[in-house]
Amino acid sequence: MSKERRNLLLNIMGILVLFVILYLFNEYGTDYQIRILNNMAVFITLAVSYNLVNGICGILHLGPNAFITIGAYTSALLTMSAAEKQMTYIIVPLVWPLNVLHTPFVVSLLLGGLMAAVFAFAISFPVFRVRGDYLAIVTLGFGEVIRVLANALQGVTNGPLGLKGLVPYTNLWWSWGVAVLTIIAITKLINSSYGRAMKSIREDEIAARAMGIDPFKHLLMAFLISAFFCGVAGGLLAHLITTISPTLFTFFLTFNLLIIIVVGGLGSTTGAVIGAALFAWGGEALRIVERPTDLGFLKIPGIPGMRMVIFSIILMLVIIFARRGIMGRSEFSWDWLLSKLGWKEKGF
Amino acid sequence: MGDFFQLNDLVMQFGGLTAVKDFSIELQAGELVGLIGPNGAGKTTVFNMITGFLTPTSGQVRWQGEEITGFPVHKVTAQGIARTFQNIRLFTDLTVLENVMISFHQRIRTFFWEAMLGFPTYRREEKRIRESAMAFLQELGLAHLAKEKAGGLAYGQQRRLEIARALATRPKLLLLDEPAAGMNPQETNELAVLVRELRDKYALTIFLIEHDMKFVMGLCERIKVLDYGITIAEGTPAEIQSNQAVIKAYLGEPK
Ligand SMILES: Nc1ncnc2c1ncn2[C@@H]1O[C@H](COP(=O)(O)OP(=O)(O)OP(=O)(O)O)[C@@H](O)[C@H]1O
Ligand SMILES: [Mg+2]
Repeated sequence: MSKERRNLLLNIMGILVLFVILYLFNEYGTDYQIRILNNMAVFITLAVSYNLVNGICGILHLGPNAFITIGAYTSALLTMSAAEKQMTYIIVPLVWPLNVLHTPFVVSLLLGGLMAAVFAFAISFPVFRVRGDYLAIVTLGFGEVIRVLANALQGVTNGPLGLKGLVPYTNLWWSWGVAVLTIIAITKLINSSYGRAMKSIREDEIAARAMGIDPFKHLLMAFLISAFFCGVAGGLLAHLITTISPTLFTFFLTFNLLIIIVVGGLGSTTGAVIGAALFAWGGEALRIVERPTDLGFLKIPGIPGMRMVIFSIILMLVIIFARRGIMGRSEFSWDWLLSKLGWKEKGF
Repeated sequence: MGDFFQLNDLVMQFGGLTAVKDFSIELQAGELVGLIGPNGAGKTTVFNMITGFLTPTSGQVRWQGEEITGFPVHKVTAQGIARTFQNIRLFTDLTVLENVMISFHQRIRTFFWEAMLGFPTYRREEKRIRESAMAFLQELGLAHLAKEKAGGLAYGQQRRLEIARALATRPKLLLLDEPAAGMNPQETNELAVLVRELRDKYALTIFLIEHDMKFVMGLCERIKVLDYGITIAEGTPAEIQSNQAVIKAYLGEPK
């Protein structure tokens, strides 16, 4: 058996094991555990697609929250029934044709992703005219613009009131199904000639151009693909939380994603997955620090936002002491795992 | 007049500084021509104008009978003009093989979604690219380093990898910017042999910048000399060696 076939087989087995574990949690897990697992999957999708732009292309893009917002609203508007919409939009009625459109969940997710990609395309020309800090500022600004628009365009988004009572379609199968597909698709892209072209731009844009690479085309490609998956994840989030409003997806979310991919190792998909999993789990586990504590002799009042302080400290420590994060730019591979386990090559 | 490659009266001004003034040259297919001159003479600036990194203040770059002045860099490369860099610019964190594979990307026929979905059409193309890239590494004696990070190579090997990478874009015209810089005499000799071999094997036209006079004089059929952006001499190596203006430019005015 060739190494390629062996790895394919191990990949399939790995995914099967994952879904068996998910099945067990789905049957016997508590709501709390299931919520953490759903969050984990959505953050994995977000981090892996965000890493494509920031880690692989080496661009500091600070606007994924915009694409998540667009995906969330699009998807939510498409799954709400006409009657629900009429009840929700009490101040300004929802514009046609959104007021009558109604699609199945999976279609709403895809269209959420597509809509995010359309917006990404619309801003790509100003964004990729500049590089570095300027690009970061332009994308950051776009994130704010979308938040303001979500507030102001009442006939589309219902303004500050947001959308409530969405059907909680997002379950473990949807969230993890999307996460696994995202990981597979983006990993294949990164390891392809297109991914190499993106990395060459990150390494030395001048040399990349001299070797015939069109930077705009490839940065745009990464940006659109990343926006698409962020949009899909936004749709998942909307139907997980079941209530969305303009204040839900602020720069704060982008900042969290940045922490995840930097701690995981900028440029490593494996790192993004590990970072996202730790973040989703840690975010829940650390809720204790925001709760009032009574140690008998000492009463500590709960400090809201304390978790964020802890995450920020972790980020600073990583940047100062372990700049390459958990994984650096390395990726998980079966070869590595098998050799760690003392596997002998001749077994196959 | 042949219309293989022509530069007509190229001028490059940076603010008040005229880095290159009225630079003209015509190259015939298959020629091996040198461009020399003291530091800051404007040699690299000429290369930058040819490859699209700089748009000349005035003048024309003509290639195969068409004007390509001010084309974007990647389009110039697609036309069949490749270059190496004076201050080596490898993709240091990628492997030696990947560095060369990137040069094949401009001609890729499969789409990104074929790669993302793992289509056999894409996998066949990837395999073909890998094999062709390996062949170029073999050619330049770098095959045994294929899996090493490019940044970890010795200096002379990095210079060779720059050439392999440029060659893999399948150019007709190859521009080498100080290919022997930092090499020891033995490496320089090997490089001269290699450059001539590559020219013959790939039917290349080569235009090169170099400070190593022995290398240039031994290799080039024709040489152009720049000083403060102005062409002060051109001719065969023998003519250049005995040219008073050139000697003055390199050694300064006799006291
Ligand atoms: N992008 C630029 N902006 C401003 N000035 C420049 C630029 N590029 C080159 N110059 C100036 O133009 C002049 C010619 O530079 P160039 O790099 O072409 O010299 P060179 O002949 O290649 O020298 P060397 O042998 O040192 O490589 C120098 O004075 C340099 O400072
Ligand atoms: Mg130079």
